[in-house]
Amino acid sequence: MAYQKVEVKKPLPLIVLPYISVIAFFGLWEMAVRTGFIPDTLLAAPSTVVQTFVDKLSNINPDGATLGQHAWTSIQEAFIGYGLSLLVGIPLGLFMGWFKVVEGLCRPIFELIRPIPPIAWIPLTVFWFGIGLTGKVFIIWIAGIVPCVINSWVGVRMTNPTLIQMARTYGASDWQIFKQLCIPSALPMVFGALQLALTYCWTNLVGAELLAADSGLGYLITMGGRVARPDIIVLGMICVGISGAIIGFIIDEIEKKLLAGIRR
Amino acid sequence: MLEDQESPVKIRVNNLTKSFGDLTVLNDINFTIKKGELLAIVGPTGCGKTTFLNCLSKLMPTTKGEILIDGEVANPRKHNISYVFQEPTCLPWRTVRENVAYGMEIKGVGKEEREERANKIMELVGLSSCADLYPNQVSASMMQRIAVSRAFAVNPDLLLMDEPYGQLDVKLRYYLEDELVKLWRTLGSTVLFVTHNIEEAVYVAERILVLTNKPTSIKQEVVVDLPRPRDLIDPKFVEIRKLVTELIRWW
Repeated sequence: MAYQKVEVKKPLPLIVLPYISVIAFFGLWEMAVRTGFIPDTLLAAPSTVVQTFVDKLSNINPDGATLGQHAWTSIQEAFIGYGLSLLVGIPLGLFMGWFKVVEGLCRPIFELIRPIPPIAWIPLTVFWFGIGLTGKVFIIWIAGIVPCVINSWVGVRMTNPTLIQMARTYGASDWQIFKQLCIPSALPMVFGALQLALTYCWTNLVGAELLAADSGLGYLITMGGRVARPDIIVLGMICVGISGAIIGFIIDEIEKKLLAGIRR
Repeated sequence: MLEDQESPVKIRVNNLTKSFGDLTVLNDINFTIKKGELLAIVGPTGCGKTTFLNCLSKLMPTTKGEILIDGEVANPRKHNISYVFQEPTCLPWRTVRENVAYGMEIKGVGKEEREERANKIMELVGLSSCADLYPNQVSASMMQRIAVSRAFAVNPDLLLMDEPYGQLDVKLRYYLEDELVKLWRTLGSTVLFVTHNIEEAVYVAERILVLTNKPTSIKQEVVVDLPRPRDLIDPKFVEIRKLVTELIRWW
């Protein structure tokens, strides 16, 4: 007997409510600016932002680069930093979870660095690397590594102790238990870290660009402020939000595929 | 050799004592298990049965005494010790077949032999049909069979079982107990079966050691020399069951 797919119809109001709220939000915003309730020097109307968006696709004024170039800079920085934080953070966390020596060595330093907001590193990175790509990659790396370490570490710690005992009675070595039991057990938590670290990386990237950069979406927002163009500021913010959401969605899909392959 | 007349001693436990601080849990336990014997251990609840097994399997250091396998101090790296736990211990990311082979994998058994032995045992316990399924796709009793198969597959010098069927219903239990006896007779392993279920002990074991309350020592040894398959309502069976029940009640 096959399962029948049952379509459950949502009541009409529940379907239209999200649209109503979005339309109302942008409508009210547009009205508020158009009627002069909010002066257009303080906030740009959505229609103006759309115009600016189209304009910025090809126009490099007033900030020196097109929207595409800014977005590309940000994405490049984010992904290099993100990749490096996964590369270092996940193995480190896994080892810290199982090998007491690694935990003893790394934990105090990790606990010390963890509470420092990544943005607090900006002045130092400007000294070390200038305002180019490397400095921002460093900040993003610091930001992304924290959730990677914590999740992998907790994931290993959550390995069922009876499974470990079982392997021990067969004479398994520490390394065998780590490889064959702890890592597979930790995988769901590690995948959780992919998503978390991305959020951390993206938010801190924009933070870093706000303060020290010569291109990137965060830089676009700052420049909008400098030249008193609220439409550019809002455009930058919306781009950050939308591209973050898209990247998050992609990672989510990849994660589902991978997890389905590994754990079935 | 004299093997046929009298099976040699496989396991010898001398003065096994375990204390946690001032609390003595195991007090000077001495016994032997013959090669290929199925020995059951019963005792009142909370008498330290699990501690006892954890010491034998070397999961826990002993306070005093020694455990010898073939005259050598027991060592999980060197000897094949298997332990079937109360709760299921399947690795969820491995298929049934890979789970059965896991013990052999740690022991460094070659791939071909692993396959062969796993197939043979899965055939014996009726797991062949679900060999390529994952543990979350089979029932709870299947999971325990996987653990039992994995334990037998390494040709253990000593197979420890800690109430493996405690959580299953009565009917299934009889079935799995028969299966255990079948595996044990086919493969000739040395088994130590811990349970609080007296009927189960009398049903499967050749010899029963009755433990006392804490500090635990061996109260009495009961030999079960009934033919197999055993009949639960055979007067002799009932007699032995009553004897063991009395021994446990009487402390």
